[in-house]
Formats: sequence, structure tokens, C-alpha cells
Amino acid sequence: MQLKAQTKWGWMIAAYLFLAGLGAGAYVTGVIADFAGAEWASVSKIGVALGFPCVLLGTAFLIADLGTPANFWRAYRKPGTSWVARGTIIISVFMVVGFIHIGLWLWPFGVLEDAAGARQFIGVVGAIFAFGTMMYTGILLGANRPIAFWSTALVPVLFLVSALSTGIMAVMLIATIDGAAHSGPISTLVRIDVVLLVLEIVVVAMYLQATHRVPESRAAARLVLAGSVAPLFWLGVALLGLAVPLALELLGYYVLDGSSATTVIASISGIIGGLCLRQVVLSGGIQAPLRAGRFEFAIPNT
Amino acid sequence: MGDEMATTTTVQEPNVKEDVWINTSCGGCYAQCGIRAHRVDGVIVELEGNPETPAGSGRICAKGTAQLMTLYDRYRVNYPVKRTNPEKGVGVDPKWERISWEEAYETIFEKFRNMKDPRGTYFQATTVQTSEIRFAVPAFMKAWGFKNYWVSGGGLWCGNGAHFMNGIMHAAWSIIPDWNYNKYTLYFGCSKGHGAGHAALQSAQWAADARARGMKAVVFDPFLSTQASKAHEWVPIRVGTDGAVALGMINVILNELGIWDAPYLKLKTNAPYLIRPDQHYKRDPETNKPLIWDPKAGRAKTFDDPTIEDYALEGTFEVDGTTCTPAFQLLKEHVKENYPLEKAEKISSVPAATIRRIATEFAEAAEIGRTITIDGKEIPLRPAAAIFFRGSQGHVNSGWNCLEIDLLNHIVGAADVPGGSMGHGPPVSFGHPDTGKPETVPYACPDGLMTVKGWVYDHKPYPLREPAPPQRLDLQDLYPCSVYNAFTICTPEWEKYRKDFNIDYEPEIMINFGSNSVMTMANAEGVTENFLKQFDFVLSFNIYQNEFTEAVADIVLPDASFLERYTPCVTFPSTFCHPTGMDHWVWQIRQPVVEPLHERRDFNEVMLEIAKGLGVQDKYFQAINDLIPVRYGGEMDEEYKLDPSGDYSWQDISDRVLKDRLGPDKGLEALKKTGLEKWPTKVEEMYWRWFTPVRVPIYFEFFLESGKKLQKLLSSFGREDMADYRFYTPLAEWFPCPSHEEEDPTFDLWAFSWRPSFHTQSSTQNNPWLDEVSVNDPFVYLMQINATTGKSKGLKDNDMVWVENPDGNKIKGPVKLVEGMHPEHIGIAGCHGHWARGTPISKGKGQFFDDLINPDLAHTDSLTQGSDACAKVKIYKVAGR
Amino acid sequence: MPRYGFVIDLKRCYGCYSCQVSCKAANFTPRGIDWAQCVPAETGSFPTALRQMLPLVCQQCKEPACKEVCPTGATTQDENGIVLVDKNLCMGCKACIMACPYGARQTVGDWQTYFPDAEGELDPYEAYAKKQWEKKNGYGMATKCDYCKDRVAEGRKPACVESCPAKARTFGDLEDPESEVSMLIRREYGFQLNPEFGTDPACFYLPPR
Ligand SMILES: Nc1nc2c(c(=O)[nH]1)N[C@H]1C(S)=C(S)[C@@H](COP(=O)(O)OP(=O)(O)OC[C@H]3O[C@@H](n4cnc5c(=O)[nH]c(N)nc54)[C@H](O)[C@@H]3O)O[C@H]1N2
Ligand SMILES: Nc1nc2c(c(=O)[nH]1)N[C@H]1C(S)=C(S)[C@@H](COP(=O)(O)OP(=O)(O)OC[C@H]3O[C@@H](n4cnc5c(=O)[nH]c(N)nc54)[C@H](O)[C@@H]3O)O[C@H]1N2
Ligand code: SF4
Ligand code: SF4
Ligand code: SF4
Ligand code: SF4
Ligand code: SF4
Ligand SMILES: [Mo]
Repeated sequence: MQLKAQTKWGWMIAAYLFLAGLGAGAYVTGVIADFAGAEWASVSKIGVALGFPCVLLGTAFLIADLGTPANFWRAYRKPGTSWVARGTIIISVFMVVGFIHIGLWLWPFGVLEDAAGARQFIGVVGAIFAFGTMMYTGILLGANRPIAFWSTALVPVLFLVSALSTGIMAVMLIATIDGAAHSGPISTLVRIDVVLLVLEIVVVAMYLQATHRVPESRAAARLVLAGSVAPLFWLGVALLGLAVPLALELLGYYVLDGSSATTVIASISGIIGGLCLRQVVLSGGIQAPLRAGRFEFAIPNT
Repeated sequence: MGDEMATTTTVQEPNVKEDVWINTSCGGCYAQCGIRAHRVDGVIVELEGNPETPAGSGRICAKGTAQLMTLYDRYRVNYPVKRTNPEKGVGVDPKWERISWEEAYETIFEKFRNMKDPRGTYFQATTVQTSEIRFAVPAFMKAWGFKNYWVSGGGLWCGNGAHFMNGIMHAAWSIIPDWNYNKYTLYFGCSKGHGAGHAALQSAQWAADARARGMKAVVFDPFLSTQASKAHEWVPIRVGTDGAVALGMINVILNELGIWDAPYLKLKTNAPYLIRPDQHYKRDPETNKPLIWDPKAGRAKTFDDPTIEDYALEGTFEVDGTTCTPAFQLLKEHVKENYPLEKAEKISSVPAATIRRIATEFAEAAEIGRTITIDGKEIPLRPAAAIFFRGSQGHVNSGWNCLEIDLLNHIVGAADVPGGSMGHGPPVSFGHPDTGKPETVPYACPDGLMTVKGWVYDHKPYPLREPAPPQRLDLQDLYPCSVYNAFTICTPEWEKYRKDFNIDYEPEIMINFGSNSVMTMANAEGVTENFLKQFDFVLSFNIYQNEFTEAVADIVLPDASFLERYTPCVTFPSTFCHPTGMDHWVWQIRQPVVEPLHERRDFNEVMLEIAKGLGVQDKYFQAINDLIPVRYGGEMDEEYKLDPSGDYSWQDISDRVLKDRLGPDKGLEALKKTGLEKWPTKVEEMYWRWFTPVRVPIYFEFFLESGKKLQKLLSSFGREDMADYRFYTPLAEWFPCPSHEEEDPTFDLWAFSWRPSFHTQSSTQNNPWLDEVSVNDPFVYLMQINATTGKSKGLKDNDMVWVENPDGNKIKGPVKLVEGMHPEHIGIAGCHGHWARGTPISKGKGQFFDDLINPDLAHTDSLTQGSDACAKVKIYKVAGR
Repeated sequence: MPRYGFVIDLKRCYGCYSCQVSCKAANFTPRGIDWAQCVPAETGSFPTALRQMLPLVCQQCKEPACKEVCPTGATTQDENGIVLVDKNLCMGCKACIMACPYGARQTVGDWQTYFPDAEGELDPYEAYAKKQWEKKNGYGMATKCDYCKDRVAEGRKPACVESCPAKARTFGDLEDPESEVSMLIRREYGFQLNPEFGTDPACFYLPPR
């Protein structure tokens, strides 16, 4: 019996999961930065500015992936009845808040520039939904019980860590390109990201380790570690997503004592890795075989 | 087309003008199940089984349902075309050019009229549309005056051995277990009840019933085939060795267990016939009848002497100074001496202990001595059967393999009695209650042995034909049991062969009806270059531009498919469709559910037009008059005979045949409404063996004489080399195939072919629904190889390999490593791997097994001229993959 | 109200794909879409290996995982327990496909002819089939077996039941303890596939041997 992975959710869904995570992660970074003092202002703005557009773009991918994109609004018909429906609300609220946040602070209106309290209030509300966005993408996958590779509490954790990490990297990247010096906030972000990356490595390790219990997750782990998905996993996730950024960030921080070049390369590499991670998780989506007597049957056509 | 066809009308929607169901017969394979077609506003939208008929009993298979897509297939041939590229050959683009029907007819008439000798005509027809070929082919052959006829690989692969031997032993085309009572069946290379076309769907149902009831099936097959997967036991066996196993089993049963059905052997076989030391019957000098020994009377008597009190099966007896032995005793000793289990094991790879156990189970399952009362008639009950077909018969030892397996049935008396092996059809029919037709009952020859009354081949299985100087281009008539003969036509020697045997005419015109002989006989190049290209003009009736038409056809006529034509006799002769068990006889017709689409025309009508155009219609009509009594049992009423000077359409002919066979009120119009006529079977028909005073041989004395005559004849032409006379022996022997004697150890695998239940030969792969199924099935478009063997060769799933035979012929394809395969074999499904431009869906899918088959003399059964359909091969990875 | 259910007897089934093809024909499912799928498998090792076909239909679960994840309310259950997709509500998010443990759902992209290289118009059958499909189903939506709801309403059997040469498939009312399906389940050890998913299928299987 050869268990085959699902193909119905492909790269557009990966892009959606990734962008929603990155946008929400960047937004949360921005909101927290807003509490950290004037030194963090530009980081905060970049974070907030990335939130809504990234998530919007991600959502565009999600809608494009629908069988009938024009009917996307049907997702609002039964709010709260399913994780897709709940997620739709979460993400929509996030986008509304993020949009307001940007519109009233960064462009076209600047009314929040001086209203730190209101701004931070909006930020906190937005951040709550941003966390929701980061987590729910994982929960959405986890709701598919026949797919053991997804149906684990580690997926939301993994997606959360990755979202925060890629969010931070996106902020660092823009800030650095924007000319920010590799000191102060950026170096703090680098240190936080180092922690997140280490955490992500641990979660990835636990995740792949924990899935070896049933045939379908064993098959998924095999597929990811040694099968057709392995190049994407080892090059995309392990190397670009984890090893390269971690090494460069450590190098930049400890050896080169703050290097823009390492930050830029680390961030780009890590962001690509974040996209690869979503794709790897989707590609490992193998449904449980059906059992009758001594036979195991692979689900067709997924 | 009109309202008269409507059987039910359920108007569903207001804007639908017409909504009817029409009863007809499927033509997806030769089982020809009764089906109902749903037509809405002139479009067939649904096909389903017709529950009114035992031929299918309301079921329809995947191939049947998918015939909708064949009817409406946009790749079909819809207009007459002619070849513009003068080059012919495998894979050549014929550069078809559309022509009108008028032009087609004119060319055809001209070609026929300009023939040097009409005998140089050759008819080649497909085995799929079996009932369509019954009139047009033989009638035209008689009318135009030629004898060359061929049904593709049919015969070579399935018929020369199996049909012939079943004809001798069961007066039938094939044998099938009586599932309704059977408890134990041995399958030797056949899938009956699991796909193969013998009453396919009713058999499938009864086989499933039997399975549910606990019937035990043991399947000898090199791979875990469909039937093996449903059996209690799969016994992996080397190809071509079934006969050796059967002989080993006979040895166990007769010599170790001492089990046999003495009354059956005494009364229903030639087991008691006394055999002289020279292997011939001891005959009564006065009557010339074979003698038996009556132990009560203590003297020999003629086999049919009414005073016989008992028959000796064992011992030796002095009769008129000759030491005589009953045939049974000889068989018993023969298997003991020559077929010890160790030998059977060595040949077949089946462990001796397994053969012994299965032989014991089989013999015990026969419950010799038991009887059953059906319809008030008490008859033996023998719930054990040994059956075989294409797999075990497609070898050099074709004829003998069949007989050896069947002997198992006869030693335990399990032939054509409840529970046993049944002549499929069945072979005895008393006819419709109103007309007594079709009637056929086998009768005894002077030696007491069974002779069939009507038979679909041009000579009966028994008595064997007298070897004669050949008239046919394939020299088939030289041989006593041959139906088709490939080794002569598939070699470059063909012309020399014809000279050697003084054939004074040449192959000139081939008429091809469907048959895809480029793919279904043997190696495509060999068949094309040596055989098909020898014809000056090839006319093909086809539904596709297939490998045959592309390679050699000059004109292709767009045939109507079975949903577009009339066929008056579908289920008779009852070779393929009647289930075996008490049910009904059914006479089905086929009728157009839609008028032929595009410019398609019915083959039958066109052949009639050709006969008329050539001015031989009188002979054509006369031939039909002559044929009907032979094929459809019983003389024709004067009233319905065709007047040779008259003029009839195909529908007129159909109408007459129907009225003649079924009664004046059951003509075409009447049958169009119902699609069928049925009447109950009688126990004397279904379980005819003990009601019909005939015996069958267990000792084949007549082969001796035939062999000698053949040798004499062949020698007279200086071609004594053209047969192996050891095959003409009275006692069953197993002979090895060339593949069993291959000495080069690099050829370490046997290649064989098997049929998926959802394909018909090379016909259905272009059907998009069936292709879709096949693409998703892991076993059909890939070559199966034992996983351990595969790994030892460094192979994994989907690796592309070459499969090469010792002649250097090779085919390429991906492998699938499986557990359900004998370690020394590679199994290739069906007849796939198409390359014709006209069938784009099937192109390149699956593998073309037949390229590995070489029907030369060494690969030909000297008894039946069947071809060896196995090959020793080596496999190796395709470079660069 | 009857609760419709299936019994598929694996020891009778010999894997002929008739159910799959007749379902396609009866429901005019487009190219690549099969509601009644057959899945072959092999187990064990030579020479005691076994093969078996698993014919699938939508299991019309009592607790359908597909319905649970459907965000739009397009997936509903009718009074006979048949799980349906409303083409006017579905948006094609495919969540139900991921969640269904039985591979019962598919989506259809554009309608495609089976004869893409042929010249000229669609043949009348394909044209008819396309129309029929569009009447009940859509494109981009989730689709699945509906136990031949309309045929059953007309008093016919589901197409796959009617065609099955081995009579391996039985259709009937699970609520009625005297129905053939109920009796088969009771007497012949009927079981549901992968009960661990807790969907309580209405399709029962009888053991392969
Ligand atoms: N679905 C379907 N039904 C058909 C047809 C079709 O094409 N498709 N064709 C019809 C025709 S013309 C015929 S002749 C019949 C044939 O019907 P079958 O005789 O059932 O034909 P096959 O499937 O070719 O062969 C049966 C089995 O023999 C096995 N086999 C091969 N070589 C050997 C051997 O040497 N020994 C043993 N023991 N087994 C061996 C194969 O693996 C296969 O499983 O089917 C008829 N019905
Ligand atoms: N590899 C392999 N080869 C085999 C076998 C095998 O088991 N394996 N089996 C062998 C056996 S037993 C047999 S009997 C032969 C059969 O060999 P064939 O008699 O050649 O049968 P098919 O391969 O079905 O080819 C029939 C052709 O007829 C055409 N056709 C179908 N329906 C119609 C119709 O209504 N009208 C017209 N005019 N044409 C039609 C189709 O286009 C198809 O190409 O194959 C033999 N060859
Ligand atoms: S078994 Fe043959 S005749 Fe019967 S429905 Fe299938 S294809 Fe048609
Ligand atoms: S089998 Fe799948 S699609 Fe059908 S009801 Fe159950 S969960 Fe839903
Ligand atoms: S694809 Fe349609 S039916 Fe399935 S979950 Fe999404 S909206 Fe519901
Ligand atoms: S019940 Fe109807 S829709 Fe469901 S699989 Fe069977 S034929 Fe198809
Ligand atoms: S039609 Fe019947 S026997 Fe054939 S695969 Fe389907 S369930 Fe099995
Ligand atoms: Mo055949």
C-alpha cells in the first residue's frame, strides 16, 4: 500500500498560511514595539504597516484557491460553526483593525500619531486577533482528524513560533533596508529571533518525532525526511529557514558585532524558510488508511 | 427507430420529447449480456442490465457501461477512408484520406473482380463480436469461394487447445464449475466467475454465492490474480506446467488414494475398453467395435453389448491370444510410473506435499456415490470441479494440458452432473417448446465416443479430421486438431511453405472485421511483415483506426457498433452467454438503439451489399440456408428459407431466422419489443451427461492413428519436420515449452499475460472511462514482479525496465513490486501498450506483451497448433532512468 | 424516516470496478470524478499474500466530519441521513475534503471532454452529460455520492448496487431491523470503516474472508 499525500491544498494555501502568519507576526512585533519607547517607533511602524497588507495578500491567495472565488463571502454565512468560519471572522477582524491602525496612523491620516493610548489600544485589540490568526491556521489543519501529521497540538505552536519569527525577520529586513543601524532595536530583535529560531528547531524536532505513531504519520515523516518532500524540508526549512538565519544572526550579533548584511540575508533566508515550512506541512498531509481485516487501503484521490 | 421499441416510458421533463428503454444485447465482450438502453431524444444516456435474461441477469460490468463512450467516442472511424501512403508496416502513418461510400464500394468491387483466384481471399474477424461474424463471414466465404478464415489470437491463445478438448470431453466450448452445487474447484489458469467472458455476470454472481456459502476454490496461477485473490488458496505455479501437476494429482488419486468413480468410468468413458500391446483398441472382429472385459461373464464383449454385467477397469486379460489391458489400468500405471510427485514438483515448483493434499481434498470433495434429485430425476452429485482456460492452455502442450486437467473431473465422475465441471453452454438443448429449435444433442460414434452435433468451427472436435493436402493458406487442414495455424503464416518461410505443399494460389485480398491481429496474435513485426503485408489489398471494417488498420489496411469502412445494428442470433450457439445451472434458455437479439451515427454502416449490411455487387448474392442466400441448421440446430422450414434468386435486406434475413427458430409470431418486429425470448431449461439439458448415451475418452486411442496419418502426409511433401509426433499418444503426457528448456541463465524469468476483468483484449483501452480506472489501478498498466526478486535486481516501483526474450525481442515498461507473484515470473496485463494514432487515449499505456511471443514451430503445439504464450525473459533497467 | 445505508460484502466483491463506472454513468460525473471509488490493496508476503478491493461510497455518516468543518452551511443532512452539498452555498474551500476520513469528496474544476484532441463539437452524449451534471452540481464545488437520491426516490436502486455483478452491495434502511441491510450487518459481522474517527458511517462492510 502506498499512502499518498493530499494535493488539494497546494502552494496557494501555503502562501496564505505563510503570509497570514508573517503579517500577524510582524504586526504583533510592531504593537509590542509601540510600547517600547521612541527608539522603537520606526520598528513599530514597519511592523504595523506590514500586518494588514501581508494578511490581505495571503487572503487573496486563499480566495484564489477557492473553487469559486466569487463566492468567498459565503464563508460568513455560518460564523463560529467551523474553524474556517471562525478563522474567517478572526482574520477579518484583524484586517479591519490593522487597516484602521494603518489608516489612522501611517497613511492617509495621522490622527493616531499623537494619541498613543488609542493607538496602543487598537494595537492590543489587533494583536489579540493577530495571535488568533497565527494560531488558527495551525488549528485549521489540526481539525482534520484523518490526517495525523496535521492533527497535533504542535502544528499551532509551530505555526505561532514561525509566524513570530518570520514576522520579526520581515520587520528587521525592511528596517535594515530602510537604513536602520544594527544597534538598539534591531539587535534586540535579532536576539529575540535567535531564541525563536532555537525554539522552532525544538518544536520541529518534537513535531517530526511525535508523528511516528500511526502508519500515515510515519509515512508523512518518511515523505518529509527522506521522500519527495525531503529536498524542500532539508534545503528550505532546515537550511534556509533555520540553520542559515540562526548562524548568520549569531555571527552578526556575536562575531561581527552587528552587521546589516547578515541581518538582510538571514531575514530573507528565514522568510523563504517560513514559506517552505507551510508547504512542507501541507505536503505531508497523508490521510489515515482505511482498514478492513488485515488490509489497509490508501484513500484515493486526496 | 420508432415507438415500437419502447418498453417503458417515463417522461421526466416537459421538454423531453422521447424517453424510452430498449432491450438489446451488450457487445462489450463475448458474454453478450442482455441490457437495456435508455434513449432520450435520440441520445443513449444510460445502459443497464436487463433483469429478464439469465445472460447477465440484470447486471452490467464496467466494460458494458463504458460502451456508451465507445458509441460516442469522437476518435472513432466515422467515414470510409483510403490509404494514401503506399508504405505499409507497424507504426507507419497511412495518411488516410476520406472517401465516399460509393468510391469505397467501387474500389472494393474492382479489387475483387480483378482477383487472380477468389481462393486468395482471407477473412479475419474479431472474437469480440462473435455473433456478428456468424452469417456475414461464412456466407460470403461460401459465396465467393474461399476457405481462409482466422480469428486473430483467438484459437492460438484460447481455442485450439481448450475449445477442441472441451469439445471432445464435454461437447462444449469451455468448462465451468456448477457453482450452485459445487464445493471445491481447482482453477488452472482461468478467471471464470471473475471476469472471463463465460456468462460473465451470472457466473460472477453465482461464484460469489458459492464463496459466501463456503465453496473452496484453489487457484493455480503464477500470480495472485483476481480469482486467486478470492480463493481459499492460491498456489503459485510456473507457467505451462499445469498438465504435470494434474498428472501428479491423478497419480495420487488413483494410486495412493485409490479413489475413482467406477460406474462413471465404466459407463461414460472408454476406461474399460481393452487395449492391445500395440496401444490400439482390441476390437470385435465382426462388428469392429471396441471390446471390454466382463468379469462376471469372464469374457470380452463389445462395449455396448446389452448383456454386460460388469466392466473390468483393472487387470490384464487374454482375448483371442492377445494380452489386453483396460485403458483405465494403463492410465493408472502410466501416471504411477511417469508422474511421481517429485517430478511434478520439479517441473512446476509446486511442492509435492501441496499437490498431494490438494489432490486428496479434490477427490474427497467429489463425494463419489452421492446423488441428488432435481425435478424428480435422481442423478449423481459431484461437488468438485477442475477447470482451465487461456492461462494453462496457451502453451506448447496446449491440448494435453487441457485434457490432463479435465481427466481429474472424469476420474471422479464430476462432468456435467450437479456440482461438477460443466460443458459451458450447455451443450444439450431440446429447443424452444414451440419449434424444437435450436436443437442439439451429442451422439455416439461407432466406437461409442461422443460427437457433437453442431459446432462453430468448420470441423468437429471429434472424430478428428483426416489430415489432408492443404487448401488453406495457413495449411491448417494438414493437421487433425488445428483450427488456426500461426507458425506457417508468421514466418518469412510462409511462401516456401505454400510451395512445399503445392498451394496453387496466392494471398490476395484480406477482409478484416475488427480483429486487431497486429496486436493480438504475436510479435507485431512478425505478424505484419510475414503475414499481413503479403496481401495486395486489405479491407477493414473497424470502429477505430487501430494498429492493424494503420499497419496494413487499404480501405477502412466505418462499422456500426453493437448499439447501432441488428443481430438476430446473439445467445445461440450457446457458447458464451448461457449460465450453467437450472435457469432459462434465452434467445436475445441485438438491435440499433440509435441509427448508425455519422456515415457508419452495419458490417452485415455492407457484406450483403458486397455480395450483391459481386453478383454472388444467390450463393450468399443459399449459404445462409445451409448454415442455419448447423449453427442453430435443426432444419429450416421451407417457408423461411431464403430464395437464392430473391432479394433480401439484412433485416429480412434476421426476421426469417427468428421466425424459423422461434415461431411465426416471434419475428424481428416482435423481438424488437422484448429483445429476447426465453424458456425454462430442463434437467436433461443442463445435467445431460447421464441422460445422453455417449462416452468420452480417458485413453486417446484415436490420436495414434491421426499422428501416423499426419506423419505420412507431411513426409509425402518432404516436410516431416513440421510436427512432433510424440504428441500423438494415447496416454496423457506433459511436454515442456521452449521456455522450460532455456539454458542461458540470464533469462531467469517467465513472462506471461493475464486479463483484467475491466478490459476486453486490445479493444477497450481507448475507452476513456476504462482508461481512467486503469490509470488508478496499481496492477494494470504496470508489470508485476515479485518484490524479493525485484529488490535482488535493484529495482523499485515504477522503475523502467526492458523485458527481453531469447530472440532479442523486447518491450519496455515500469515495474510494480508485489508480493502476489511467483518469484520467477513477470506478469503483464492484457493486450495494452497501443501505438496507433487513431486511439490516442490508449497510446503508450501499459505494455504490449505479444511482442515477446514468437509463433514458430518450436512454440507450437504439435497436437492442436496452439501458440505458446509464455516466454523466458531477462529484465534490466532502461538506461538513463 | 428511514436512514439509508449500504452493506458492501468484501468477500463477494472481486474488484471489477463496475460500481465505479456505473456510478459515473448514472450521475454524469465529469472527467476524473468518481463517487464510487474502488481501492485495491495487497497484504502479507509471498506466497501467502492476499489481495482485496475496497469499494467506497460516501459513508453518509451520522456525525459527518465534512459537515463539521464546512464554513458555509453548504453541507447538510437530509431526513434520510444523506449528507448533501448545496451547490448554491458551497464556495469550494475543500475543508470537507481534508476532513472526510473516507475520501468521499472531490471537487470539479472545469468540465472537460474525454476527447480533447477530437475535432468538432461535443458528441451528443457528452453534451447531455454536461447538461445533467450542471443541473444538479456545479464547478469548483465539493461533490460526492448522494446514495443516488433521485433514483431512489423514483423507486430504483442506486446504480452501483444494480450493476454489481457479484451482488456485493445491498442498499436499504438501517432503522428497520428487518431490512436486508440490518440483517446482514447483524448476521455477518458488519463493521464500519475506521470507527476511531467517530463519524458513525451508514455504510457497513462484511469481512473479506
Ligand atoms: N474481461 C474480459 N473477459 C474476457 C475477455 C477479455 O478480454 N476481457 N476475453 C474473452 C476471451 S477471448 C477469452 S479466451 C477468455 C479467457 O479467459 P481466461 O482464461 O480467464 O483468461 P486470462 O485472464 O487471459 O488467463 C487466466 C489466468 O491464467 C494465468 N496464467 C497465465 N499463464 C498460466 C499458466 O501457464 N498456468 C496457469 N495455471 N495460469 C496461467 C493468468 O495469470 C490469468 O490469471 O476471456 C473471455 N472473457
Ligand atoms: N497480450 C495478450 N494478447 C492476447 C491475449 C491475452 O490474454 N494477452 N488473448 C488472446 C485471445 S484469447 C484472443 S481471443 C485474441 C483476441 O484478439 P482480437 O480478436 O483481435 O480482439 P481485440 O483485441 O479485442 O480486437 C478487436 C478489434 O475489433 C475492433 N472492434 C470492436 N468492436 C467492433 C465492432 O463492433 N465492429 C468492428 N468492425 N470492429 C470492432 C476494435 O477496434 C479492436 O481493435 O487476443 C489474443 N491476444
Ligand atoms: S460481461 Fe461483456 S457482455 Fe456482459 S456487460 Fe460486460 S462487456 Fe457487456
Ligand atoms: S464519508 Fe465523508 S463526505 Fe461522506 S458523510 Fe462521512 S465525512 Fe462526510
Ligand atoms: S468545499 Fe463547500 S461543502 Fe466543502 S467545506 Fe467548503 S464550503 Fe463546505
Ligand atoms: S449510491 Fe449512487 S451516487 Fe453513491 S456511489 Fe452508488 S451509484 Fe454513486
Ligand atoms: S461492482 Fe461489486 S464486485 Fe465489482 S468492484 Fe464494485 S462492489 Fe466489487
Ligand atoms: Mo480468446
